[in-house]
Amino acid sequence: MSVVTKVVNWARLKSPWILHFNTGACNACDIEIIAALTPRYDLERFGVVLKATPRHADILVCSGPVTKQIEDRLIRIYEQMPEPKFVVAVGTCSCSGGVFQGCYNVKGGVNNVIPVSAFIPGCPASPKAIMDGVVKLLLSLEEKE
Amino acid sequence: MSKEEAIKEKLINKFSYLDGKVNVQRVRRIFTEVDYVNFLDVFVYLKENLGFGHLCTITGLDEAEKMSLIYHLADTAGIIVNLRTSVLKENPKVKTVSNYFPGAQIYERELIDLLGFKVEGLPEGSRYPLTDDWPKDQFPLRKDWKDSVKSSMKNTLE
Repeated sequence: MSVVTKVVNWARLKSPWILHFNTGACNACDIEIIAALTPRYDLERFGVVLKATPRHADILVCSGPVTKQIEDRLIRIYEQMPEPKFVVAVGTCSCSGGVFQGCYNVKGGVNNVIPVSAFIPGCPASPKAIMDGVVKLLLSLEEKE
Repeated sequence: MSKEEAIKEKLINKFSYLDGKVNVQRVRRIFTEVDYVNFLDVFVYLKENLGFGHLCTITGLDEAEKMSLIYHLADTAGIIVNLRTSVLKENPKVKTVSNYFPGAQIYERELIDLLGFKVEGLPEGSRYPLTDDWPKDQFPLRKDWKDSVKSSMKNTLE
């Protein structure tokens, strides 16, 4: 591994910018994600910054089951993200469809539509669980490199 | 006489067929039922003459042999008239009310998509809320609807 790639990887792990995307959630997980970003839990100390556009984001944080209406939009957003990109599914619905599994308007978990790197179950997933999941994802990336 | 009773009286005075069908269930809540042939008369009278200028929503119901609609009309005092009407299930055709309340369009599109109502006079537009590739003859909120689409959903987590 060249020095340049090493530096790039180091920088990447120290500043995982995220995009929060609601794929059909009831809003509970969204609030917990926001809570995890606030100073009380402070995900920002890991370099996590919430971005407003997929073009700046490294990690796509999804909440909620994927509805049939949002499916195309989710794929479009995912494809707009630059490589390397990771997806985190927050909440039970996002992991498997949860209570909405089998509904006529729901596609199921996020992994039915796009590849997912980390699953964070919980209804809603607590901020601590979200932090744990994000940190575990970052650690697994560190090990790979 | 309370405001609700006054509205009830005005309705019965104007439309004799409503006699005994207007029910003030509790404060600020009036329920009434009307045959579909007379529906628009009562609806327009409520809007134009009694000041019910807000259509809260439209409820659609599947009642086996007939399909029902409840139009929830409110005035500025917070009184809600729940105007109920029914059409036969074989031909659930109703006239649009979007010429009286433009916002009703979105409710009527939902009635079309989810319960299979036929709404006459609704302006052209995309379907709502189902996806564009949803089969035209499938109405998921009907009681007798069987989900043939569900089987296409697989969960890869297992």
